[in-house]
Amino acid sequence: MERTRTVVVVLPAYNEGRMVRDVIAHLPDSIDGIPLIPIVVDDGSSDQTSRGARDAGALVVRHRTNLGVGVATRTGFRAACELDADVIVTMDADGQHDPNDLPTLVRAITNGDCDVALGTRPISFRTMPWSRYIANTLSYAVVAMLYGRRVDDSQSGFKAFTRHAVETMELSANGYEICSEMVGEMFSKKLRYRSVPIRAIYTEYSQRKAQPFLNGVNIILRLLAGRLIHVR
Amino acid sequence: MIVILTKTFAILLALIVISKSYTDLRLRRESLLMFLFWTTTWLGIVLVALAPSIVDRIIAIGGGQAGIGTVFGITFMFMFFVVYRIYVKLDRTEQKMVRLVQELAMEDAKIEKPPVKRSSVSDDA
Repeated sequence: MERTRTVVVVLPAYNEGRMVRDVIAHLPDSIDGIPLIPIVVDDGSSDQTSRGARDAGALVVRHRTNLGVGVATRTGFRAACELDADVIVTMDADGQHDPNDLPTLVRAITNGDCDVALGTRPISFRTMPWSRYIANTLSYAVVAMLYGRRVDDSQSGFKAFTRHAVETMELSANGYEICSEMVGEMFSKKLRYRSVPIRAIYTEYSQRKAQPFLNGVNIILRLLAGRLIHVR
Repeated sequence: MIVILTKTFAILLALIVISKSYTDLRLRRESLLMFLFWTTTWLGIVLVALAPSIVDRIIAIGGGQAGIGTVFGITFMFMFFVVYRIYVKLDRTEQKMVRLVQELAMEDAKIEKPPVKRSSVSDDA
């Protein structure tokens, strides 16, 4: 039986009423003829995130309470699998990721090059705010220590997956540590991966929405605690 | 000075915990058994804080084999075990809440599989 191929873009969003409409409006309708469906997972926002996303044409899945970006991403994956997506992309809803990078990420998957395409930001003091640079560098070190291997940008939220990869990964993180957990699962499940250079847009808005430095430390602690509790 | 501060702090903490526990008991948010457990535990802590020599007497009753270090070691071990159990229970409760919220979200969204069309890719691919 034949069916239409689809790319589903999962956008976890919490109080992104100001940006989410714009972000969705800039997404392409299709990539190389494959239709693209945006799914916004509203993580219990108290503003107009759901309405804005729906008005912009996205499918909205709404958590009744705020549970964290990790849970929102997992809900998005579940919805994408329900939609029979062939390629699943995760992307931030705060406008930090450039939609022009989407085709490159998706093509890395559709060409059969890999199961996971990791959007990799240029890591440098010049291109990244210093607090984020330090927090990310620490996180990379922890990921390398925990999983015994390193990738160029384990904390990037812009990634593309085959459905097989999404169904194979066993994710349990609730917060931002999900980015590292995905990398760990990618290694342990022996998924093929590739780094794809992307551009990161650091606007005043995305800087305000960014996690404070101490949250980075908290993420590392939760990652370590999670590894202790969920030893597989 | 530090000793007096420690004793005052222990009494204050005990008062907070016992009064909170009593309020919960009155509002039927806590059972009588739990109220008695917390009250006895904290009265014991206050007793030890006010008269630390009581620990020596207890050790002496037990045959005087264990030193104060052993008592503290056992207490720490017990406390960390309790903290670990609480952490695991919290984690499980959180995961249950996550599943519940996800189920509700999926139900509300009414996501349906797209209709099968004659198009570009086969399921065998």
